[in-house]
Amino acid sequence: MTAKPLPDVTALNQIYWEGTKKGELRIRECDDCKARFRFAHAWCPNCGNVEPGWTRANGRATVTHFTVVHRAPYAAFEDVVPYVLALVELEEGVRMMCNIVECDPKSVRVGLPVSVTFEQRGDIALPQFRPR
Amino acid sequence: MNTRAVIAASWELVPRRYPELSGFGLFREIIKGALRDWRLSPKELDGLLCTPAGGASGETDAYVHDKLLSELGIHPTFCETLSLGGASHTVMVNRAATAIREGRASAVLCISAGKFLKPSAGGAEIQARMISDNSLEMPYGTFIPALYALIASGFIAERGLKPEHLARVGVSSRKWALLNPRAMMHSKGPITVEDVLNSQWIAEPFHFLDCSIPTDGGGAFLVTREDLAKKYTSQPAYILGYGEYHARGTLSDPGDPAVDGPSNAGAQAFRQAGLTPADIDVVQLYDAFAATPLILLETLGFCAPGTSGAFVMSGATEPGGKLPMNTGGGLMSFGHTGDSSGMSPLIEGMRQVMGAAGPNQVTKANRVLVHCYGGMMFDHATLILGRQP
Repeated sequence: MTAKPLPDVTALNQIYWEGTKKGELRIRECDDCKARFRFAHAWCPNCGNVEPGWTRANGRATVTHFTVVHRAPYAAFEDVVPYVLALVELEEGVRMMCNIVECDPKSVRVGLPVSVTFEQRGDIALPQFRPR
Repeated sequence: MNTRAVIAASWELVPRRYPELSGFGLFREIIKGALRDWRLSPKELDGLLCTPAGGASGETDAYVHDKLLSELGIHPTFCETLSLGGASHTVMVNRAATAIREGRASAVLCISAGKFLKPSAGGAEIQARMISDNSLEMPYGTFIPALYALIASGFIAERGLKPEHLARVGVSSRKWALLNPRAMMHSKGPITVEDVLNSQWIAEPFHFLDCSIPTDGGGAFLVTREDLAKKYTSQPAYILGYGEYHARGTLSDPGDPAVDGPSNAGAQAFRQAGLTPADIDVVQLYDAFAATPLILLETLGFCAPGTSGAFVMSGATEPGGKLPMNTGGGLMSFGHTGDSSGMSPLIEGMRQVMGAAGPNQVTKANRVLVHCYGGMMFDHATLILGRQP
């Protein structure tokens, strides 16, 4: 089995991955307009502030979209099928992709309340979500 | 001066594997076919639009336009490689028509070719890397069917669609493919809803037979000033309406990934044409997976929310139905040709409106709507073509 993909750690997202190592899920919060969003933006997508800050999410979320993957796309995922790929909406209003873990894939539905957990993958603590 | 732009001709490769041809080699085959069948001299062209080559195989070539203009021996005043995935081809119609209206070109060749590396032969990982955010998405085991399954899941949950509704989309496309000798599945016989539901799961809600068929292929069309089109056809396709909307760049962006794009692009096209869905005879709705025609039937306004399932179950989209859909077999039964995927629904729409579809010609095809999208339903283009201006 080849290794599962690791995220690219960059100057833009380093604070996020430092947070996950401490068990914190961090999102960006604009100091000017208070919009909240993912680290993928180098500026505030709402008001254009080029130095948005960070805040800690409470880790609670709701499943908005999900699929149970039965056919592994490539070798790294062969031993984990069926797995659940999902989009969840954090209570802070930010959407993120994840796997829904620690449950029977058949039990996942749109609207399922979930909370963050962290999967150790190499040196990275990868945010995942489980039913709460 | 009459500066109305029309579609004067189209040409398409039969979709199949072309192991002897490179990505660019497919472009050459299409050019040779078009030059021969259209009786076109390259000197007549002053515009050129193309897509990149090799994208769906992980070897993107963004300089196809330079190679093509060099080999054609032309010096166009309007030329670019345009990269909007499956939406590229429908967008080309608008770009070419705009250049013609502005007097910057009078005859624009639009061309695209693709080789779609099989997902099981490494294609799934290559395409996942191209389309997923490498930090936020790729680590979670993304690949194209699973990403479309995400889009579909929210829509299905909200609108109460059932697995058999998705399955019937593939059944409908197969019926059209049986009429179209050029479709990959032409000689494979009909399929039933049960066949689809009994085929293996890929990513729920998609079974194997809910997915399009990767292959090689491509095509070209010619957009000209109306007065020049007479040389190529007695029945050009007129451009009645067009809309475009770029809804997001990743599925992690906010908003409804099934609804935002097509509803905005479609509304623009209908407004420009001064038409409503009731005025459309035939639709070509990009069907990378079975859920998307259902999404498009509702978001473009052909079906009220939650009713697209009953609509396809009634046979309305099939041969003899009241709204023939994906009349060439669609990507699900005609074939999905990688970078040129959006060319086949578009060319099928042109053929229908020009009365040149052949054995699968629909009797009443005065107005045809084509909707194609690129990425994971990121980039959207809606085009309404007419037999009359």
